Amino acid sequence: MKVVLKELVKDFKSTDTVAVNRINLEIDQGELAVLLGPSGCGKTTTLRMIAGLEQPDSGRIYIAERDITDLAPKDRRVAMVFQNFSMYPTMNVYDNIAFPLHAIKMDRKEIDRTVREVARLVNIDQLLERGLRQVSGGEAQRVALARAMVRRPEVFLMDEPLSNLDAKLRVQLRTEIKRLHQDTGTTFIFVTHDQEEAMTLGDKIIVMNRGDIQQVGTPHEVFFTPRNAFVANFVGTPSMNMLPGSLRIEESGRLFVVLPGFELELPRRFAAGLRMMTSHHVIWGIRPEAIKLVPAIGDNCVPGLVELVEALGSRDLMFVRVHDQLFGVIVDALDSVPVGETCSLHFDGAHMHLFDADSELSLLLDEKANGA
Amino acid sequence: MVVPVRERALSYAILTAMAVLVLIPVLAGSLTAFKPQIIWISSPPVWFFEPTLENFEFVLITRQNWLHLRNSLIISIGSVVIALVLGVPAAYGFARFRFRGSKGLMQWLISLRMIPPIVVGLPFYAMFLFLERATGLGLRDTHFGLILTYQTFLLPLVIWMMRGYFVELPAAMEESAMVEGYTRIGALRRVVLPVVWPGIVATALLNFIFAWNEFFLALILAGNNTSTLPMAAGTYVVRARVEWGNLFAVNLIIMMPVIVLTIFLRQQLVKGLTFGILE
Repeated sequence: MKVVLKELVKDFKSTDTVAVNRINLEIDQGELAVLLGPSGCGKTTTLRMIAGLEQPDSGRIYIAERDITDLAPKDRRVAMVFQNFSMYPTMNVYDNIAFPLHAIKMDRKEIDRTVREVARLVNIDQLLERGLRQVSGGEAQRVALARAMVRRPEVFLMDEPLSNLDAKLRVQLRTEIKRLHQDTGTTFIFVTHDQEEAMTLGDKIIVMNRGDIQQVGTPHEVFFTPRNAFVANFVGTPSMNMLPGSLRIEESGRLFVVLPGFELELPRRFAAGLRMMTSHHVIWGIRPEAIKLVPAIGDNCVPGLVELVEALGSRDLMFVRVHDQLFGVIVDALDSVPVGETCSLHFDGAHMHLFDADSELSLLLDEKANGA
Repeated sequence: MVVPVRERALSYAILTAMAVLVLIPVLAGSLTAFKPQIIWISSPPVWFFEPTLENFEFVLITRQNWLHLRNSLIISIGSVVIALVLGVPAAYGFARFRFRGSKGLMQWLISLRMIPPIVVGLPFYAMFLFLERATGLGLRDTHFGLILTYQTFLLPLVIWMMRGYFVELPAAMEESAMVEGYTRIGALRRVVLPVVWPGIVATALLNFIFAWNEFFLALILAGNNTSTLPMAAGTYVVRARVEWGNLFAVNLIIMMPVIVLTIFLRQQLVKGLTFGILE
């Protein structure tokens, strides 16, 4: 079902809740939306307000046009999976999955049928008689998923459900959650601080920081056209290379960014954004994947010294020093340059990002988008 | 965890020595309870004799200590039940909700445990007397009066112990149940209480032992209708002599329930007392 948050506010009066500052958000029916942000950004608080575990100070929450702001959690027709809790320890797997059904007084036969069906869906139908101590962490989290599904909720809420699992299991369960989402067609809202998880799972990513929504978009949008410097820096691993700089415009109309120790020419697409600038100060950025190694110095090329190389498998992450600045550069492992040698880096204008130093907003966005 | 054999042998040796040290007087006393009066205090002590139940018959029937046994049971069980009914929800509240003064209140509660009963005995008596004169509500020499008084010591223990168990549990446990269709009370009853059950049993037992053994407050506040077994035991220490056999018979009666309860509940007790340590 469609989830709408209107002017939602949560204050920090009690010490352990994170503030949420007047956020507005629409999540469409059947969408898998990911709330992404560093810890303390308000993403979990937002999710808990949708679940009814936290009461907003002001604002309304709607699910399928129904105002649920003042309803008890049990009456909201949502289900939630938690990070640090999976199974009720005094019940076996079967009773865990049946637990939400007892609340709606379903008859025993129907419960049995439903429990077995849902257990099959998440591949735990062999474990129904087991207790908490006889299942692995991943299996326990599947039980939590099954318990969430069993009442056919209108919205699934997931609060970092994979964070306590080891890396391999995390990837595996991530795929299963994605499949579950496709099979059920239900709206999912998934909270994570892991941007890779957000990118692989989300239809829509909502990047949050300090209680505000920074950007809402598809994984591609937040990666390739970050709305501001925070999103640019937070999304993507290794993160974007970012430097403070200033703008220089030649009479011919050519545009340059002056960085500590060197200067790069900017493509014309940045010209439109200059009208929004309040000063000449900018934050310039480029992703490690967008920097190319070139054999000789040419336009927009600078020499650098390789200081460190991390192997990522088929590719290497090189740290290259250019005029006191360290750049992360991702190259094909075969093209990698050994530590201590010099190389020449090419910065492609097409992949550059530019942000106003004061507002930190991207200069690539049109004015309408920034005004919003 | 695997403990090396030598360390294990050593720890068993120490435990055995301690047990012997504690058990010898208990054993000697318990034997005396079954001795006929003429050999109660014979010197050297007689170890082999034909056991008799005459001491028990004397204390329970002739001296009517079964009434004291009944009083002790009513007061101890009543105290524990009330302390749990009030204390467990309070402990849950302290564990889950932060409110103005919650920390100070917890510290005040533990400070109650530090007061020796002798300090509150007479003020309680005075309060009961005042209450009786002002409202006609008599609490002196009633079971309820003692049960109420014991809450001063039992409630802090219940709240502190149970809060510890609740804090160990992730709040997500009952939050999950709340999202899944239950009220907070429902979640507490169906999900949280079953998990902390061993803790409740351990808490109940410790509280029962306190109320069951309590002597001083009972001495001041109880009367003919309510005097408890420890007070009955006191009556066998009279000015000129000690009626050893009768005293130990009552002592054995006092010890029995605690021993039996501990044996029956030992699994829960160990689980409850080590809650959160092993996992």
